[in-house]
Formats: sequence, structure tokens, C-alpha cells
Amino acid sequence: MCGIAGIVYKDGKPHQAGRDMTKMLHALQHRGPDSAGFSIYGGLNLADDEYLLNIEIKEKKGLLKKVKETIETTTRIKSEEKIQSVENYIIYRCKISLDSFSQLKPLIIEIDKIEDVTVLNGSHSFEMIKDVGSVLEIANRYDTWSKKGTHAIGHTRFSTESIVDRYHAHPFQSYIIPDITVVHNGQITNYWKIRDPLERKGHIFETTNDTECIVHYIADKLSNDYTLEEALEQSVKDMDGPFSYIVGTPDGIGIAKDQLGLRPGVMAEDDEIFAIASEEMALGEVVDTRHIEQIAPGEVRVYEI
Amino acid sequence: MKEAKIDAEGKTPREVNSKLKKLAKEYDRIIIENPNAMHYLAAGLTGDVEVIIDGSAGYFAGTMIHGPRIEIKGNAGWFPADNMTRGKITIHGSAGDGVGQGIYGGTVIVKEDAGSRTGEIMKNGTIIIGGNSGFMTGLYMMGGQIIVLGSLGKDAGESIIRGKIYLRGEAESLGKNAKIKKITEKEKGELEKILEKSGFKLEKAEYDKFKKIVPRSRRPFYGKEVEEG
Repeated sequence: MCGIAGIVYKDGKPHQAGRDMTKMLHALQHRGPDSAGFSIYGGLNLADDEYLLNIEIKEKKGLLKKVKETIETTTRIKSEEKIQSVENYIIYRCKISLDSFSQLKPLIIEIDKIEDVTVLNGSHSFEMIKDVGSVLEIANRYDTWSKKGTHAIGHTRFSTESIVDRYHAHPFQSYIIPDITVVHNGQITNYWKIRDPLERKGHIFETTNDTECIVHYIADKLSNDYTLEEALEQSVKDMDGPFSYIVGTPDGIGIAKDQLGLRPGVMAEDDEIFAIASEEMALGEVVDTRHIEQIAPGEVRVYEI
Repeated sequence: MKEAKIDAEGKTPREVNSKLKKLAKEYDRIIIENPNAMHYLAAGLTGDVEVIIDGSAGYFAGTMIHGPRIEIKGNAGWFPADNMTRGKITIHGSAGDGVGQGIYGGTVIVKEDAGSRTGEIMKNGTIIIGGNSGFMTGLYMMGGQIIVLGSLGKDAGESIIRGKIYLRGEAESLGKNAKIKKITEKEKGELEKILEKSGFKLEKAEYDKFKKIVPRSRRPFYGKEVEEG
């Protein structure tokens, strides 16, 4: 199944995005017990050249030191934080500066070469939080309740296509252009047909997860001057299978649904909030649901601030 | 009239439905408070009882009921009234996909819009949609009637075998084996009766706008094609 959700505060100012997304995802917990994740945009307030890395590190002597040394071959660590996760892993978060965005992916590749270390993501304008366990466990582990943001997307995962671990939890991120993330419910059945041309262009796939395929596809389209709406519309034509997915960008969110409408998606809005989710019970946590709209088969909706 | 209340807050669908089935034996009307779009409400409920869901319901509201009259004060998710055999479900807001999927009898009323595949594989009974109904309304319909006061999405009446879809607005496109016909004066009268009874008040002239979608052939997939009469 999987549960997906997205929220935008129409005034473009930071609000309690972490709290609201936590409540939305908790309402969708029954749709996916394996893992959960958040992309909370607009609350990091980093300088133009700053990035936040989220790195999963096994609790082994000397491993964190090795990670830090690898980072410091490229740049100085400006601030850091350690969060205790489960299964003898810590999440190491650090703020770094880079001369350009193009340095980010090569640095991540270098860090990923260290055994028992995986970079979950690297971002500039959003904070990614994803882990195994229930929504509330993750919310308390990472204190999502206090995270502020202008918009957010989130996911509860019922694993069907790949293993259950932190990296395969959604959202997935692309590094083709900065800060594009995707959460997804369903399957892309022509996965290789979508992946092949992207790889030929030089885009790097880390997994065989179809959600990663979507995020690279959308980022590739956006890097070729498609608007988010145009990218989503084209994806509905190009992708087969049952799906509904939500994209997060620094400017807003968008949803796309397959042409047969085989996965759910509903939307509600008021003067302050635009919200989309798999089910009404998630919308009811953040917005008046007296009037909700079904996302129709093949339809896309976008809200940008 | 004996009335009881169930507060659904913090309860599982199983707990709510168990309580509902017990109370339905003793009470005439049961109000479910704080439903919070919970799934499977009133699933499999039988008997002559009125159930008021004071808010929105989730998926499969009133699935497989036989007899109850259910009123949903908010919206409903996917498949409300799925496989109902007898009874009535009124949804005051909008509904998701598969309204009245597979029903054998009874009446389903949605006051606002419905999602896709309304009345899919329905065998009998009546579905009334006050607003628009989406993609593939009446998919594999085998009997009964769907009445839509608004418009229909693409592929209306896809692979329809029996039954009728009455439509006041327009269909974006017709599905395989579907054709549009004019309705008779007798049918107009019947529509007026059923819509009035269901709380829809239309001007007389509005009934002239209705048309019906019916099967083009009785045997569209195999054997000799036979035109519907």
C-alpha cells in the first residue's frame, strides 16, 4: 500500500510543518508499517553555499572518525549532530560548505565507499528525516514535532519492491538538480524503459527501487526547463503501472496519478493550507475536509509558493 | 425511537463494528461520533436499523449490508456500499472510487461528486450521484441504474452488459459497448419520482436534458452480436 502526504502553507512562511506532517503520516500508519520519512522544506535557513548531510553509520570503533576525515578532504565540517537510531546505527548529521552544488554528489560517492556507511541524503533547502519503525517512533527519535517549514512531503512504507532499511525508506532524492524529492505509492512497471535513457545521460542509480527512478526522471525533466506541472504530466504518459506520487521541490509540491487511477489521492485546501494525501483521514489532521477532491486518473496537481 | 451512540475516537474498526452489531439488535438508530474517516464502518450490518455516521467514512463504508439505512454526514472513501444487497446509503459530501461496486440491490446516494468506476459490476439497485462521476462510470455494469445529475468522465459505460446510466450532463467519452439513447416520457416521470424521493429538486425542464447510456450489444465479447432492443 504505502501512505503519501504533502502540505503547503500558502503564505510561504515557515509553519509547524514537522508537527503537521507527523500527524498526517500517523493517520496513514495503517498503510505502511515498515518505515517512514519526511522532506521538510524551507526551515533549514542555510547560507547559499551550505549543505546538510545525513549519514547512516554503524556503531564501530573508528568509523565516525573515518567519515569525518573523508568529508574533510573536501571541506570543513561546520557543525555536527549525532542521533541514535536502531540496530546499532547512528545518524550523523553535519553542515558543510561547498563551492558548487556539483561537488555534492562526488563527495557522497566518496563517503559511500566506506563500509557500513551510507549517505541518506545531502540537501540545501530541505531537511530529510527517514528511518525504519513507526511514524511516532521516528517523530520522537528525530523530534519532527519541532521542525518548521514552508512545505513538506512524507511517506509511510509498506515494502513491496526492495528491502526495508533506512536508505530505502522514502523520500528519495535526486542530485541532478538541487533538492528534488519524491514519495510514492505503487509500482512503475516499465521501470527499465524509464531508467535506461536516464543512465545513458549519465544519471547515477544507487538502487533498483522504482521511486528512485521517478525522482531522477522528474529532476531530469526539471533540468531541461520543464515546469513541475509539465514534468508530472509527461510522467503520467511515460510511466506504466499503478502509482500516485508526490514531488517536493524548493518551490512547492505536486502529485501525479496513473491513467487508470489505481492508487488513491485526495486533496483539500483552505485560505492557509493546500494538502494532499492517500486518504481523507490524513487531510483531516490539518485542514477542513468538508470539501475534498479526488485526484482523477491521469491527473496532476501542483501548488508552488 | 430508541437511540444509541458510539464514540469511535481511539477505537479500531473491529471494535466499532462489534459494538454496532450488538446495539443494532436493540436500538432503532445508532449514531457513530468521531468517525474520522475510519474504514469498514458498518461492514456486514443486517436488519432494519438506521445508522448515522457523524462525519466522514473511509473505505468500504456499509460494505455487504442487508437492510440498514446509513447516513454519512461527511464524505466517503473508496467503495462505499460495496456488494450491498438491500438498504440505503446516503453520503452528504463526496465519495471516492467504486461507489456501489457490485451491488445486488438497495440505493446509494452521493450528494456531491463521485470518483472513478462508479457502479462497477453492479447487478441491480440504484446509484444516484448529485454531482459529477469520474472515469469508467458503470464499468462492466450488469444491471440496475445509475443516475448522474452532473457529467461523466472518460469511457462512460465501459463494457456495459446490462442496466442503464441516466445522465443530465455530458460524457467526456463513451467506453466500449456503450451507446447514448434518448429517454422516454415514462422514464422522465420515473426519474422525477426517484430524485424527489432522494432529496433532489429539479425544475421540470431539467428532466428534458437527461439521456441514457445503454449497452450496444448483449453479447459484446463472444457469439453473435445482438442489438439491445
